[in-house]
Amino acid sequence: MSGPVMDPRLAPPFPQAALPILQNTQLRKNVAHATDVIQTKRNRLVAEKQDWQQLRSAAAAIRAHVLANLAHYLEEFEKNCTAAGGVVHWARDAAEARQIIIDILREEKATEVIKIKTMTSAEIQLNPSLEKAGISAVETDLAELILQLGDDEPSHIVVPALHVNRQQVREIFARRMSLPQLPDDPEALAAAARTYLRKKFLSVPTAISGANFLIAENGSVAIVESEGNGRMCLTLPRTLITLAGIEKVLPRFSDLEVLLQVLARSATGERLNPYNSLWSGVVPGDGPQKFHVVLLDNGRSEILGRKVERQTLQCIRCAACLNTCPVYRQTGGHAYGSPYAGPIGAILTPQLEHMQHAQSLPYASSLCAACYEVCPVKINIPEVLIDLRAKVVDQEREEASRWTDPMYMGMKAANFVFGSASRFRLAQRFGKLGLRFFTDKDGWIRKLPSLGARWTLSRDLPGMPDQTFRDWWAEREARGGKEAR
Amino acid sequence: MTNSRQAIFDNVRAATKADVDRYEDIPRNYIRAGGLDSQGRIHLMTERLHEYGADVVECSSADIRQTIFRQLHLGKKHQIVIPAGLLPAWLDSGANWLVDQNLTHEQIEACDGVLTASSAGVADSGTIVLHHGAEEGQRVISLLPDFHLCVLRASQIVETLPEYFSRFPEPPRLATYISGPSATADIEMTRIKGVHGPRFLSVIIVRDDF
Repeated sequence: MSGPVMDPRLAPPFPQAALPILQNTQLRKNVAHATDVIQTKRNRLVAEKQDWQQLRSAAAAIRAHVLANLAHYLEEFEKNCTAAGGVVHWARDAAEARQIIIDILREEKATEVIKIKTMTSAEIQLNPSLEKAGISAVETDLAELILQLGDDEPSHIVVPALHVNRQQVREIFARRMSLPQLPDDPEALAAAARTYLRKKFLSVPTAISGANFLIAENGSVAIVESEGNGRMCLTLPRTLITLAGIEKVLPRFSDLEVLLQVLARSATGERLNPYNSLWSGVVPGDGPQKFHVVLLDNGRSEILGRKVERQTLQCIRCAACLNTCPVYRQTGGHAYGSPYAGPIGAILTPQLEHMQHAQSLPYASSLCAACYEVCPVKINIPEVLIDLRAKVVDQEREEASRWTDPMYMGMKAANFVFGSASRFRLAQRFGKLGLRFFTDKDGWIRKLPSLGARWTLSRDLPGMPDQTFRDWWAEREARGGKEAR
Repeated sequence: MTNSRQAIFDNVRAATKADVDRYEDIPRNYIRAGGLDSQGRIHLMTERLHEYGADVVECSSADIRQTIFRQLHLGKKHQIVIPAGLLPAWLDSGANWLVDQNLTHEQIEACDGVLTASSAGVADSGTIVLHHGAEEGQRVISLLPDFHLCVLRASQIVETLPEYFSRFPEPPRLATYISGPSATADIEMTRIKGVHGPRFLSVIIVRDDF
């Protein structure tokens, strides 16, 4: 089975990718169930928090403050992490980050590496590069393991295998772990993963993690998780490599009092995640004695310089916007063609691609703003979506192919028609005449030809009324401003 | 590599050169301190731990040794790993204590359980905080065994997370916050206890608050 394309450079546009997924009723059922469960838990725990809005405001302000002073806090983090025994590396783009990690692993003579779920490693497509370098990566998060063994791709930022159900997990584990008798209850499946991974934890001496937060004040890294696979990877190996985007930094340790509270409630509907780990550099006698941090730019400094878009970098990857999004809830994550799905993916992915790929994603939204409402760091996603749409249109305006693009020509024509009252009146008259052929007896249009068919594919359109507003107004004026009887 | 560092810093500085945003101006009108008394905090902490499926008992300062022994005995836990700095007065001679001094991961894993103290408890979220000092031990001992018996003094329990951070203005070198035993909801959002960390968490709250 070949998995969905999750490289924004190769993935088909969103509407095209979404079409086959919408036919997959099993996947849609799985996605709807999972997002419903998380949302219910999240809403209950947010409702019990009397100071939720104050926490949101503080979280948003902390993240915005970091971005405004990013160079300062990155320097502070680097200084303190280095002083604590960590080695800090800087990567301008994905290729550089991959090379740095591979070089470290080669120096360690690693043939295998255990990984904690990290979005950033998916962003830089680390695993395929490791394979090419002869290093096999073992995902230790249960969901990531399911996907890795099933040759599948993540479809959610927090629960990446939410599109797979227990029978599918059973089939994958039975086949890949050679356990033909494995039952399909979640308990037994988790136990199988525990046994399978325990050997890896105890024997593989090198680990790769992401980071939820980097603390500038003392150069420490914070990771939140539920299963304990994170603690295993952070504690047992001799060498640890942490890959993090440059925007992940927080000023002080105590800022976690805000961020941990909003993250846990938003991500999984818990008061705090079962496990949070914090460490600074290398601690003699406890955990890995070699520690590397790879700080990744990969388009982030460019986003930082854009007025409206900067807020994209406030994101703490809780995925609340995915769970609430009426578009994501129908398609799941694969349609987005990027590890970052949903509303946040729709604004982050094209920007990480320097607006050269994934330009269909800012349109994968109804602009209903449910995402903004739940965002724990108050990212105004609709505002960014609209601004990115403008950027996409600006690009299209420069393209030579625009003259053969029906959408572009249609917009040009609309621009011409709407530009003058008399042209508009004329167009209304002809439109009424033309649409009459497609209008049913009850006054509704259900099927339009050519381009218009895309509109009527999923919605009906009211036919043109006999009298337009302009006609009515003109008639009213002629009568001296009195209502028609 | 140095070039990359320079390039990133140049870009970041250029992107933020006009920004003025002071740390002091961050609004912090969220709830910092809770309103519960000691009894209320213990009650809430216990309730939360029960929600996670953890076991909770209370004892007086004088009864710590007996309570530890009873809890281990009830759970049929014999071989117990302990951090080197644990108070000898806690250790009943009836149990088989294995002090964490140069133990291999395999030796630690083979134990029935681990006994540690803790640095703080946060009642609101039912969180046990370990800073991995002498009484709490290195991280691996409270990770590999399947059973974690944790002693929490009532005076260490705060109500809210911000209160914990006020208590420790100096960031710890290491910290683990445990809010319930290892769990996953990755398969059909069904919560399953115990994937990798200890499956059983048992907490002894010592009433040193009288």
